[in-house]
This record gives sequence, structure tokens and C-alpha cells, in this order.
Amino acid sequence: MIKVEELQLTFNANTPIENHVLRGLNLNIKEGEFVTVIGSNGAGKSTLLNVISGDLIADSGYVIINEKDVSHLPAWRRAGLVARVFQDPMVGTCGNLTIQENLALAYNRGKRSRLIPALNHKMTDIFREKLRVLDLGLENRLSDMMGLLSGGQRQAVSLLMSTLQPSKLLLLDEHTAALDPKTAQFVLELTNQIVKENKLTTMMVTHSMKQALHYGTRTVMLHQGRVVLDVSGEERQKLTVADLLTKFEKTRGEEVTDDTLLLG
Amino acid sequence: MSFEFFLGSLEIGLIYAIVSLGVFISFRLLDFPDLTADASFPLGGAICGLCLYLGINPWLATFFGTVGGCIAGIMTGWLYVRLNILQLLSSIIVMIGLYSINLRILGLGKYLNDEMDTWVGSPNLPLLSTNTIFSPFINEDATNQYIVQPLLVFIFVIAIWFLLNAFLNTQKGLALRATGTNQRMAKAQGIATGRMVILGMAISNGLIALGGSLFIQTQGSADITIGVGTIVIGLASIILGESIFSAKRMWAITLSVIFGSILYRLFIAIALGNELLKDIGIGSEDLNLITAILVVLALVLPKQLKKWKSKRGKSA
Repeated sequence: MIKVEELQLTFNANTPIENHVLRGLNLNIKEGEFVTVIGSNGAGKSTLLNVISGDLIADSGYVIINEKDVSHLPAWRRAGLVARVFQDPMVGTCGNLTIQENLALAYNRGKRSRLIPALNHKMTDIFREKLRVLDLGLENRLSDMMGLLSGGQRQAVSLLMSTLQPSKLLLLDEHTAALDPKTAQFVLELTNQIVKENKLTTMMVTHSMKQALHYGTRTVMLHQGRVVLDVSGEERQKLTVADLLTKFEKTRGEEVTDDTLLLG
Repeated sequence: MSFEFFLGSLEIGLIYAIVSLGVFISFRLLDFPDLTADASFPLGGAICGLCLYLGINPWLATFFGTVGGCIAGIMTGWLYVRLNILQLLSSIIVMIGLYSINLRILGLGKYLNDEMDTWVGSPNLPLLSTNTIFSPFINEDATNQYIVQPLLVFIFVIAIWFLLNAFLNTQKGLALRATGTNQRMAKAQGIATGRMVILGMAISNGLIALGGSLFIQTQGSADITIGVGTIVIGLASIILGESIFSAKRMWAITLSVIFGSILYRLFIAIALGNELLKDIGIGSEDLNLITAILVVLALVLPKQLKKWKSKRGKSA
């Protein structure tokens, strides 16, 4: 159970470029829910994810994960609760470590690093088995440098890494945005599969309304730092992209001109 | 070049191999431009020298010297991590501060031995008759000194190379490498990156100070000036090793740093022994200038070579 209460966050407070990003945001996510998050640029989607993960600390409000108040914990202290896949494949993985070293880091996520070998046969067997599922041939390239992989491959591995340790919440921040359409589709399907198989509580930020409705069990729309739409269950099943777009326009109180961005 | 002169260069090359491995940790693994090295090298030497002067067991003295470097590294890391001072500035601050401390340490021996009434700093500390870690292995007329010293240092280098690689392949070592390359990812995996930087700086400067401790034991005196250019020599060795061996695996990269350091010393020795250079008046006082030029060449040449090659490839 994830609880976000009355989050307030202002960037560059008391300066000419002051930006009030989160304005009393509330959100409750039940265990096992797959929430897709949409909203226009600057609505606070990424900021919300960064506040939940601890990369940013909110000015006020609470982040409660699994009954634990983590509002003031730094990102690395929350890593045992929160797994993440970043938008940029370069951020989610270490290019100059090998594939198996990256996986070993994730295999130990949220735990104290100790003076014991980072890799052992048991681990590499697990890694090989997990990589085989990706069907990218990476199971034979365990000791290749991560930097040799393509963006899509790195995102796929990044996804895999997020499942190596149990987490209370998986955060996906437009994790297919930097990929070409075909690869993006592959990574999305893989995401869906992994989330379902592991019954992960997930928040996925996306720019595409189609994706937002197609994947997941619940859709949340953010606008100006607040939740303006929250649909799930039957109501959501009936919802079409056009409906969503109308609601989106209504909340913005203006015509959305760049349809491609939203429908894509 | 005589055989003895060759062994002497090899010995210094091996000592600086330890230093270069330290510089490698800060510069390459942590991406931390750390000038503390210029002060932690003489700090190790000063502490070790002081201990030897006071008659403390040489191995213990070497250990204390190393610990001194670790503390210097922790200071630099702490200034950067906890006080948010720029990396380069943090290290320069510690370096400047340590200069005074080193002078004090070098002067402390005479005060404690009642050769001085007040505790004043000194730029050097002669250690001619003191025991060193090498003493037990050197015969009475010191004829085997030129073999024993590089041999023992060589054992040090091999042991450190082995331990460093073992460490870098542990969970802690991996966390340290991840911190150096991708802090955001490291944090997302639950690594306390701040602590890792401080740990890495401690190990880095510990190794550099160990180099200083060994260096003064081969020189017969501890001197404040031995630190000048440590960082550049370390960098020169790393770059030399990298460009010659272009290794990929960690054990090979660290090994190339060691070879880089030895080769650098041999180059310097050849350059200083060169009759032509002697004729135009270049001597050992020009060592640092030669080093600076060597580093620039080593930094620029591989890139130029690549450019030249790709140009030729296009025209063909």
C-alpha cells in the first residue's frame, strides 16, 4: 500500500523562475495495482515519481510506503522498497560495468554491500535464466560491457534488474520514450508481462493515452500538481482515448493542439 | 644504463605503481580529480619517517603512514560529500592544510628526542641510521641492497594488486565502481554513494601514503618536497598504461597501471641518461617539466593518431 498525502513542492522558491510543481497531491495505491500516469508537460508526473523514490524531497506532505513514513529518507534508503526504470537507458544501468555486474548490483538492491564476492555461480545461473526470457541472446553475453548494448536492450535489462529483488513499488518513468517505436513496443509488452507475472505494484508514467488505457488497471491524470482524473475498473474499460482527450482538454480549459504527442 | 641504475629505476617505478593505483581509484574509478595525493604522499613519508626516527617497528611505521593517508582521503571526501565543496577545491584545501602538518610531523621527531626545545616544523628528517623494513634483508656491506629493495617493493605491488582486484570484485567494490560511473543508478540500487566516495578516497590516499612510506625508506630521508607532482606522475603512469595496453578487464587495467608506472620511470631514466639531452643541458632538475610534457603527449597523441587513421581510412 502506497500513500501520498498533500505533497507540496516548489522549485526555485522565491526566485523569478519559481515553479510550484506539486500542489497538494494525494494518491492511494493498493497492493497489486498497475497505475498509469498521464498529464501534460509540467503536470508533475516525473516530479511525483522522483518524490516517491527519494530523488527529490517534498517541501511538505507525506510519502508512506508499506505503513512506513519515508518522506525524509534519501533515495538510497528507499531502494529496498522502490524499484525503478528510468527514461534514459544510460541512467538505469552502468555502461562500463558488465551485464552480470549490473545484475549483481540489482540483486543486492536495498541491502548492505559486504566484503564478499559480488558474483557467484548461483547468481550467474539465475541471471542466465532470467535473461533467456528476454530472448535477446544476452544470456550468452554475461561478461560483456553494458555499454555495448543498444538502448532497447539496456531498458530490457533494466526492467529485469527491477525484479531481482522484491519491492513494494515499481516506478517506470516514461521508460520507453527514448526508444524507437518497435523497441518501445517490445519493452512495453515485456513490462506488462513482468508486472503481471510478479504481481508488482506499479506506477508507469507515459505520454501516450493509448498506452495509458491499454496497460494497467488504473489511470491517473495529473494537472498542475494535482490528480484531476482517477479511473479504474469498469469505468476505465469503457473509456476511449477520445473520451480521455476530452477530459484532458476540459481540465486544461484549452484546445490540445499537439494530438500526435498524446495519441502516439 | 647500468644494471644497478636500471634496478633503481625499477624500484622507484614499483613504488610509484602503488601510488598510481591509488590515483587510479580516485581519478578513474570515482571520477574524482584528487590533488590530495601531492600531500598524502609526503604525509605517509613523514609519519613513517617520524616513527622510524623514534625507533618504532618499521612495519608498524609503514602501517601508520598508510593510515595517515587514509585519514587525509577521508577529510577530502568528507569536505566534498558532507560540506558540498567542489571536488578539486576539497582536495586542494586538504593538500594545503597538510603541507603545514607535514612540516610539523617532520619536526616532531627532534622535539620528542629532546634535540630541540620547542616543536617547530622542519622541511626534512634524515633517516640514515634508522631501521627500515628492508634492513633485515640487507647484508652488512649492503652489496645486495639494490636487489633486495626492488624485490620487496615488487612483493608489495603484487600483494596490493591482488587485494585491490579482490576488493573491486566484492559487493563493496562493485558498489564503489557503480558510484563512480553512475551515481543516480547507484542510489536507485540502494548504495550510499556519499559513503562510497569517502571509502574510495580513503583507500586511494592510503595507497598513495603507503607509496610515500616505502619511498622514504629507500631514500634514507623524509622530505617535504617529495610530494610535488605526485598526482601528475600517477596520471602519467595511468595514461601510459592505458594507451599501451588498452585493457578491458579490471585486473588487466590495474596491471596496465603498474606497467605504466614502471615504463614511465624507465623512459625518464633513459631520457636523463641520454647524452644528447645532457649535451643541451637537460638534467634531473627538469624531471617535472619532462613529466608535464609527457602527460600532454600521452593525452593528445592517441586521439590525434585516431583522427589521422580515420582520415586515411576515408581517403582510401
